[in-house]
Amino acid sequence: MNAWIYEKRRLLLGVAAVILFFLVWEVIFSGLVKLNPLFMSKPSLIWSGFMYDLKSGKVLFELMVSVRPFLFGFIAAVVVGIVVGTFMGWRQKVGYALDPLMTALYASPLVAVAPLVIIIFGVGVPGKTFLIFVLSVFPFIFNTYAGVKAVDQLLVNVVRSMGGNDKDIYFKVIVPSVLPYIIAGGRYAIGRALVGILVGEFYAASAGIGYMIAFYGDMYAIDRMFAYILIMMVIAVAFTEGIRWAERAAFPWRVGM
Amino acid sequence: MSSYISAENINLTFRPKNREAVTALSEFNIDIEQGQFVSIVGPSGCGKSTFLNVLLGLIPPNTGVMSVNGRTVTGPGTDRAMVFQEFGLLPWRTVAHNVELGLELQGVAKGPRRETCQGFIKMVGLTGFENHYPHELSGGMKQRVGLARALASDPDVLLMDEPFAALDAQTRDIMQAELLRIWHEAKKTVLFVTHQIEEAVYLSDHVIVMTKRPGRTKKLVPIDLPRPRDYEMRVSPRFNELKLEIWNELKDELSVGGDEDSGHA
Ligand SMILES: Nc1ncnc2c1ncn2[C@@H]1O[C@H](COP(=O)(O)OP(=O)(O)OP(=O)(O)O)[C@@H](O)[C@H]1O
Ligand SMILES: [Mg+2]
Repeated sequence: MNAWIYEKRRLLLGVAAVILFFLVWEVIFSGLVKLNPLFMSKPSLIWSGFMYDLKSGKVLFELMVSVRPFLFGFIAAVVVGIVVGTFMGWRQKVGYALDPLMTALYASPLVAVAPLVIIIFGVGVPGKTFLIFVLSVFPFIFNTYAGVKAVDQLLVNVVRSMGGNDKDIYFKVIVPSVLPYIIAGGRYAIGRALVGILVGEFYAASAGIGYMIAFYGDMYAIDRMFAYILIMMVIAVAFTEGIRWAERAAFPWRVGM
Repeated sequence: MSSYISAENINLTFRPKNREAVTALSEFNIDIEQGQFVSIVGPSGCGKSTFLNVLLGLIPPNTGVMSVNGRTVTGPGTDRAMVFQEFGLLPWRTVAHNVELGLELQGVAKGPRRETCQGFIKMVGLTGFENHYPHELSGGMKQRVGLARALASDPDVLLMDEPFAALDAQTRDIMQAELLRIWHEAKKTVLFVTHQIEEAVYLSDHVIVMTKRPGRTKKLVPIDLPRPRDYEMRVSPRFNELKLEIWNELKDELSVGGDEDSGHA
């Protein structure tokens, strides 16, 4: 029993902290401080608000609205990011040319262009897709770029010296060494893509998780607003942990994971 | 009449971008008969690894001709294999899969490939570590994986770049004996780079002493000790004479410690 606790202590402590957080939150607003439902809420109220929207099918509907542009934008970011990053790594001139521009775009708060994107692409899937793409493509570009540059020339030589051709070098050296960089880029990209969907739906939308957060906020339905914020958080955690788990399963050779 | 392995007037200058050019080999010549065990000793940075890379076909020389078995070397080939100084293990492959690399690239089927490699893994004393990844191994263990990998691909010419440098003394002794056994049984030609004069004398038919950079062959010392070699031979007078002879050739090339007052007589 003790051994089991010790082995799972990371998970147990993490879960315990989350439970404690909600407990304290609940206790504070259940007597210590008077709760003004126009500005604050507490876990029990949030839960009943969430259950109400879940039963009516609203949660699922709003999720579906957000998921589509998310997938389109994210997949486009993966593809474009890997292609551009690979070119930057392989062709030194391309790398030199694009590096400053890409760095500037990566570092700047691109959410600022959200209104412009909505004006150009309109409300709905295209605008949101583009916003998500723009926000999440850079981690893929930079990590692929770094990964390609970091390919160990010695390993290329090893495979070449044992009779490997270009295809062997590609699949036995380059792909396995760059893949972990790309997946790590995915971890950052997920967070940025979630910001993209929120902001896109804040500005102009008639449905979606982000829209519901803004909508319930305007309505002073703070409990529902929190419910949708928490849904967002759960999705973010699930994605991040999912990628981390996949990394451990797919790259058991990585040190310190 | 050219010999089995021959390097004729090889010149090689590295020209790294934005840095000074480095001439690693200058008028480098070597002749090695088939089936010989030849060691190369020389100061650090004199071009030993560079020469092995030329022979392996990874670096084309600027001028000069490198040939093996009458054919000019134009690129890598499965007749040659290298035990790399920095191991060069693929981090995403287990020990077994690293050892199998050569046969895999030659298109040998999984079953026979596994079986062959199992034998070499046993030979280098890594049975039980087949499913470990390189980062889980010690330096000496990694080096033995590199050794097994080169041997498993069954080359005619085995190039070994300080293959035992990371081993402890006892494992080194065992590996030396194994290497001599394989060399003798499989009739391979071995080029062996080392910094240990004793090791070079113990293993070789000839020891090549190289000058400091740019490297040339300074002296070819024939090792006239009988075979099979055994451990006791290391304390024989002849063994020590040979060691001293090589040391005397080598010490003038070592710039560490000042070269002004090193030469007397
Ligand atoms: N890829 C490279 N680019 C530039 N210079 C290089 C390169 N490889 C080797 N050199 C230079 O060539 C010279 C010879 O290097 P090499 O690795 O052949 O030495 P070595 O004799 O094997 O030394 P050691 O005993 O320390 O392994 C060194 O001065 C080194 O700096
Ligand atoms: Mg070297």
